[in-house]
Amino acid sequence: MANGQQLKMLSVKNLHASVGDKQILKGINLEVKAGEVHAIMGPNGSGKSTLASVLAGSEKFTVTAGEVTYMGEDLLQLSIEERARKGLFLGFQYPVEIPGVTMANFMKIAVNEKRKAQGLEPLTAAEFLRMMREKSAIVELDSKLTARAVNEGFSGGEKKKNEIFQMAMLEPKLAILDETDSGLDIDALRIVATGVTRLKTPENATVVITHYQRLLDYIVPDYVHVLYKGRIIYSGDKSLALKLEKEGYDWLINDYRE
Amino acid sequence: MTIAEYIASEAIESFKGGVVDSSTDTSHPLVVLNPKSFKMELQQGIKAQLVIACTSSVTASVEVSLAEGVVLDIVELYAADSIVKVTVHQAESSALSTFSALLSSSHVSYTHALEGRGATNRFNALFVATGAEHQTIELNTRHLVPDCSSNSLIKGIAAGRATGEFRGLVYVAPDAQRTDAQQQNRNIQLDNAQIVALPQLEIYADDVRCSHGSTVGYEDAEVLYYMRQRGIDAATARRLQVEGFVQEVVMRCNMEPLCGIVREAVSDKMSQI
Amino acid sequence: MKENNQQDILDSLQSKEYEYGFTSDIESTMLPVGLSEDIVRAISARKDEPEWLTEYRLKAYRHFLTLSVPTWAHLDIPPIDFQKIIYYAEPKLKKPLGSMDEVDPELKRTFDKLGIPLEEQMALAGVAVDAVLDSVSVKTTFRETLAQKGIIFCSISEAVREHPELVRKYLGSVVSYADNFYAALNAAVFSDGSFCYIPKGVRCPMELSTYFRINARGTGQFERTLIVADEGAYVSYLEGCTAPQRDENQLHAAVVEIVVERDAEVKYSTVQNWYPGDKEGRGGVYNFVTKRGICHENARLSWTQVETGSAITWKYPSCVLAGDNAVGEFYSVAMTNNYQQADTGTKMIHLGRNTRSRIVSKGISAGQSQNAYRGLVKIAPKAENARNYSQCDSLLIGDKCGAHTFPHIDCRNRTAMLEHEATTSKISEEQLFYCNQRGISTEDAVGLIVNGYAREVLAKLPMEFAVEAQKLLAISLEGSVG
Repeated sequence: MANGQQLKMLSVKNLHASVGDKQILKGINLEVKAGEVHAIMGPNGSGKSTLASVLAGSEKFTVTAGEVTYMGEDLLQLSIEERARKGLFLGFQYPVEIPGVTMANFMKIAVNEKRKAQGLEPLTAAEFLRMMREKSAIVELDSKLTARAVNEGFSGGEKKKNEIFQMAMLEPKLAILDETDSGLDIDALRIVATGVTRLKTPENATVVITHYQRLLDYIVPDYVHVLYKGRIIYSGDKSLALKLEKEGYDWLINDYRE
Repeated sequence: MTIAEYIASEAIESFKGGVVDSSTDTSHPLVVLNPKSFKMELQQGIKAQLVIACTSSVTASVEVSLAEGVVLDIVELYAADSIVKVTVHQAESSALSTFSALLSSSHVSYTHALEGRGATNRFNALFVATGAEHQTIELNTRHLVPDCSSNSLIKGIAAGRATGEFRGLVYVAPDAQRTDAQQQNRNIQLDNAQIVALPQLEIYADDVRCSHGSTVGYEDAEVLYYMRQRGIDAATARRLQVEGFVQEVVMRCNMEPLCGIVREAVSDKMSQI
Repeated sequence: MKENNQQDILDSLQSKEYEYGFTSDIESTMLPVGLSEDIVRAISARKDEPEWLTEYRLKAYRHFLTLSVPTWAHLDIPPIDFQKIIYYAEPKLKKPLGSMDEVDPELKRTFDKLGIPLEEQMALAGVAVDAVLDSVSVKTTFRETLAQKGIIFCSISEAVREHPELVRKYLGSVVSYADNFYAALNAAVFSDGSFCYIPKGVRCPMELSTYFRINARGTGQFERTLIVADEGAYVSYLEGCTAPQRDENQLHAAVVEIVVERDAEVKYSTVQNWYPGDKEGRGGVYNFVTKRGICHENARLSWTQVETGSAITWKYPSCVLAGDNAVGEFYSVAMTNNYQQADTGTKMIHLGRNTRSRIVSKGISAGQSQNAYRGLVKIAPKAENARNYSQCDSLLIGDKCGAHTFPHIDCRNRTAMLEHEATTSKISEEQLFYCNQRGISTEDAVGLIVNGYAREVLAKLPMEFAVEAQKLLAISLEGSVG
């Protein structure tokens, strides 16, 4: 998989980030190339979600050191929406409800903003509706949901499907899925994971943040990284996930205890 | 189309009030245009729809009585500066559903008295105050007997130098046990406007489920972040939130084609913000 | 109060001036009944006050004459004849009781339930304490520790004598005599109270409690408290105590003023357990209190109150958030039983930028009582990014009581975010059954549930106060169920 010819998509070097006075990321290094799937695992509170949020540009966190290059550009200089329009997608662990704003209207604006940034004409209503129909089929999302307000009254599973549906609509280059598997029953997990797999191409990359190996049965990673106390302490291939599932993290993190 | 144009185009006669019984044609909404002193009595079991529209300034009193089992939907639109007092009496098992939109410097005060067991009351209202307007909604929901329920949502926007005011009261009389009363008030304030809110509870019975909430301010940082992550800029995201805020209550109006007209009037008004 | 009536009374008093001769008779322990300029002058003279303070009292009195009794509260207040009250009396010294055996058994039972140490029980019940507790030495040690830090903690009369510049600077600066009817009355006739000054940058090493203040008892009906935390200072102040306080004075009109200078913090905790009247609603204290603090830049003021006593409570501890980044908090448990009435809450006035306030109010109504939360949250046009969160819950015990919520929100800045929520509930049959099934008596179960309900507020009290307050809630509820 990983050879020198592949496009370097994301390069994270010595990334430090904090919230308030609390340092959470303490020197992350990560390289992601087009066509790859990376899984980031680790115990609670190790900084997995923070990493995802910092890459998306959340203003809750302050980057205190390090650099991030995305598609040859300094990612940290870009606003949240610029990052999104350049193809960085974050699948939220807890998607928010937006009362009164319908899914259709929301997606139409998002898709057309991206097209505008790419110098493309906005989609016509008919083109947009066709796209909605096609993409919602990928995650078996009830088409009625697109007439409702964003995430409002959606079940936990529907919210996660809706994230993958939006990913399909926005066709990102780099998708970061933050605990997309949490709170899903086995059927919903299969649908979500199959959806992600179907969206995979040699031109895009996926970073999957997860607690459990079960998601990785469906989305097979090229690399597995273990994040602990704000650092990636170990990387391996997909067999690492199985080992972690069986043996836990203790064998790895003993050396890092404070 | 404005409400006045609609009334003209459909050649609807303004309803004069009085007793509504099985001999009254209730197959279409009864429309009251610019009332002064309006009284209406719905006899047992009647199902009806009522539209109250103020297109020119009025000072009015509206009194509506619902006999046992009456089901009444009311849509109210205040497009001209008006002072209106609305009093409703609800007998046993009657059901009232109100949707009201204030789009001008009006003061509308409601007294909804639940006087018979099992009566239900739904109330949805919106004010959009712009320029130097002062709009006030007063809602006094009176639970006078046991086993009634009420559910209210009042949303308000004040922009420019306007003042938007909500004065609410849920009153539960002694012995009005098993009352279920919920009242929610949400406001957005823009520019140099002012929002005043007094949501009140006065409760004299113990076996009740009563709550109210009132908020001012709309900018939800989480929502803003979510929208921006999907590539929508902050200004658009804020505008969407304000629109969504209004939509949430406007969607609760479901008396077609009147509600289409209401929606149009609301979005016209919103464009002044 | 009608103007001509007032004049008649003034005239009649003036004509009797020589008869009573109270201008010269400074040795007597009581002034004549009623209120007049001469009475105000006499109070001031009796306390040997400087002229500016006499003038201040007189100004307040003249303003008081222009006001009428406020009627907006959700209270049924019997008419009070302000001319039938004695406005100044030296602390009445009761004959000390010889031993604990002479203490009213009911009072003793309550003390035991509250778990108050024997020494304190004796002091509170009026047993001659010197025999068991060297209170003078305790107080002396206490004062020495404070003096080392430059902290002043004394009665307001003493402060007027010893630190006139501080009192003059701050008295009436937060609660003007023109503020309201009862504040005007208090400013005119205040008897005594506490004064506390924490110098710049000083953290008061102990909780200041009125209990330890010399002359704390017998401060009378018109108590005046002034607390000043200078820049960067910190103090936690405790008012009242959990033991039942009987008082023959029916009308109380206190004023508490707090000045929180830049970067300073004040915590003010109250447990109010005045005599609530009997089960039929006879007697009991009428408590009309004006409490307010001003917070300058980065300052924080936190009010915590547990109100279980008084027949009538009219009290709104408030915060004026004048400086940028100031924080105001109000945590309250108000319990009413039998025929008690409470109308209490807070005002949060946001003037500075980034000011924040939080209100948590827990009302508990039982018996035939009426319990109201009344609040104001005001955001001034310049208060950018102000935030308020208010949660007002009511718990009803029995179907003869009332629980009311009267919040007022006034917002004039678009960047503000305000949130108010209120709920009403009762102790469910299911909860009681569940507790009973586990062997817990109904009375204990109610105590448990009520304490759980009030926990968020009780947790804000200093530790030992919190434990006593918990027991107090349970005791105040006795006889309200089953």
